[in-house]
Amino acid sequence: MLRRVFLMTSTALALSLAVAVPAMAEPVKIRIVSKDFGPTNPDDVKHVKRIEDALRAQGTDLDIELVDLPSSGYADKLSVMLLSGDIPDLIYFQGGDAKMVEQGVLEDLTPMIAESKHVKDALWPHNVERLKNYPYLLYVYPVRGPQPVIRKDWLEKTGLKAPETVEDYVTLFKAIKDGDLDGNGKADTYGVTTADNTNELDSIFNQAFGITGSWMKNAAGEWVHARITSQEKDKIAFYASLREQGLYDPEYITTKFDVKEDKFYTGKAGVIFGSSGEVIDIYGGKMRQVHPGTELVLLSPPKGPAGQGLSAVDVSKESRGFAISTTSKHEAEVMKLLDFMASPEGQMMDRLGFEGQEFTKEGDSYKVTDKISTWYARFMVAANWQPPVVWQSQAAQQSLSTIQKYFKPDNSFVWPGDYAADLDATENVYRAWVYKFISGEAKMDQWDQYVAEWEAAGGKRLNEHARTVLDAAK
Amino acid sequence: MTDHDQTLNAPRIGNVPKSAVRGKPKRATAFANGWRRWWPFYVMMAPGLAFFLVLHYLPIWEARIAFEQVRIVPPNIWVGLKHFYVLFASPVFWQVLANTLIISAMKMAFFLPVPILVALLINEVRGGRLRKFIQSAIYLPHFLSWVVIAGVFIAALSPTDGAVNNLMGMAGIAPRSFMTDTGAIRWVLVFTEIWRSAGWDSLLYLAAIIAIDQQLYDAAEIDGANRWQKIWHVTLPGIVPTIATLFILNAGMFLNADLNQVINFSNDVVRSKIDIVDTYVYRIGLQTGEYSLATAAGLFKAVLGTMMIVTAHFVSKRLTGKGVW
Repeated sequence: MLRRVFLMTSTALALSLAVAVPAMAEPVKIRIVSKDFGPTNPDDVKHVKRIEDALRAQGTDLDIELVDLPSSGYADKLSVMLLSGDIPDLIYFQGGDAKMVEQGVLEDLTPMIAESKHVKDALWPHNVERLKNYPYLLYVYPVRGPQPVIRKDWLEKTGLKAPETVEDYVTLFKAIKDGDLDGNGKADTYGVTTADNTNELDSIFNQAFGITGSWMKNAAGEWVHARITSQEKDKIAFYASLREQGLYDPEYITTKFDVKEDKFYTGKAGVIFGSSGEVIDIYGGKMRQVHPGTELVLLSPPKGPAGQGLSAVDVSKESRGFAISTTSKHEAEVMKLLDFMASPEGQMMDRLGFEGQEFTKEGDSYKVTDKISTWYARFMVAANWQPPVVWQSQAAQQSLSTIQKYFKPDNSFVWPGDYAADLDATENVYRAWVYKFISGEAKMDQWDQYVAEWEAAGGKRLNEHARTVLDAAK
Repeated sequence: MTDHDQTLNAPRIGNVPKSAVRGKPKRATAFANGWRRWWPFYVMMAPGLAFFLVLHYLPIWEARIAFEQVRIVPPNIWVGLKHFYVLFASPVFWQVLANTLIISAMKMAFFLPVPILVALLINEVRGGRLRKFIQSAIYLPHFLSWVVIAGVFIAALSPTDGAVNNLMGMAGIAPRSFMTDTGAIRWVLVFTEIWRSAGWDSLLYLAAIIAIDQQLYDAAEIDGANRWQKIWHVTLPGIVPTIATLFILNAGMFLNADLNQVINFSNDVVRSKIDIVDTYVYRIGLQTGEYSLATAAGLFKAVLGTMMIVTAHFVSKRLTGKGVW
């Protein structure tokens, strides 16, 4: 009797184990390293948990581990982490990816995207171009580019319409400078300020002065860097005249991003640039803390002697984005995760946050809460998905439509590593001379001296290489 | 003379009377005795030793990547001196090395005397409260990060509304943009280094001054020495060993022109004047991923630093009779 009971029990146990083991199979563990997305933020942990649950319901059982890497100095810390041999499955790069590609550490995403259900349709036009040239980074976000904003009440005080031409901009800057709009009794407000260099001004004035891309044909029909063309010279002369009239902040070169914002909020500068809708809304929020009720107005790029538009967009590669490592044993699962995040369900989670926290829902009606201002998409902002509720300011929404309206791909390309020193040296020469011209330390008739120095610093080699690339691309 | 006095005056090895050491103990026994007697001190010293071992000595082994081509997925490839050839062939490297030497030499020449002077001045302050206040006030900048200091000085040196140019304006001097002036920027680095560290570094000299035997001052007083003569003939000679030691240690750090300071004070106009080996290593190594080349540059700097510390030791030994070993 005892023997029979033992046999039956053993058989039942063996059968139940045989059935249970497949069901209890370990989930596939994937590791993600990303900026501002880590295990120490409770929202991130909750976000990951619900993504895992949603994927499990679809038959993909993942155990997502977020690597704890500080946001401050992220690119440097990531670089050291990868060098130490710790290579997660999904890696968010903010530079330093080219070296990894050289060593074959990053996957070519082209076939995976082609086979995806959602990612391929979520791409923005610039993503498509960039992936063609450099198929290792995926950064599904609207293209970013600096666009100018001004306080609405200040624009109204000047009595001017939003500027439409280069001359209108000069008139507006003059009105800001002379109008004492901050009411401190002094004409000490600059029309415009930028951070570190003139890149932000270039974003609206390049096309106006005929700088259509990084590389342009000279009079002899040869490709040369736009930075040594007559159009560039005219543009720099214009900036110098702005500085001379006291309209452009002469201390732009020592102005960091936080100081730039501070000058805007404290009335030391009338116009600053925001790189995206989110950034413009942050400016708006901070401005309202100092001057309650103030709204910002987005200004359009001006018509100039040679055209109108925003700077051509570099489509040679993504400057940041997600990459899948070749050492990963779970590439397919990582791609499933990305594909889910590009789906309507994933987008709802990633862009709207949590119900009851960032938004509320009554029937089919959605409302966002104040907390939405601190929520951000961790993975992507799909081009083909619109949230059920709009919370961005008019200026922020307009910035997105403006950047899409004026989107123009640049003819820049990825440089081989051998040219790193030349690129570094010519960049330094250009930046230093631009400051000299603008500050008045150098006169515009020294332009040829600048060009000669730029060419000697490696620019000649850059021009020669560009000709081989651009002529071959015809 | 009492037994107690005899014990006190007996020749000593460390804190142990020589008479207590009988014969020549075996090495193992001596170690065991030493350990039994001094173990609390060894235990207290252990964290410091571990710090240097883990963070300063173990990484030396990893410097071998200067002779390898680093692969993210191992193994690395041995390339010998290739990276050093590339480095020495680059005009940029010689430029940053020259910048490093100039900035470091300026800091050595103009910074080193300041903490000594500060310590001497503090020592002469008689009021207890005033002395404490001055000490606290001048130590404070040491605890500020370079980011904050750069922010403060960029604002103070602003040619339009900075305090320095305002003062210059009152004196009838034309405003000057120090932060974009290639001739002034290295002096800005030296001055801000002094502002930040002179007070803190004066602590060591102050401690050395306090340790000077009071009887020497009394003797000088009896001999009719005035305050200045006491400083010159008693205080300064009393702190010469400290000055020599710190000079030698600073010589070893000679090529550390301070990465954080340079990064925070740099801009497009003055970069060519203050780009140093450390910023080069940071840019090439961490930002462009050329780890081997960056390590080669760092190693070269470390070897130069070692040579300088050894040279400074022998020079100091010859001039003052004091060295670090």
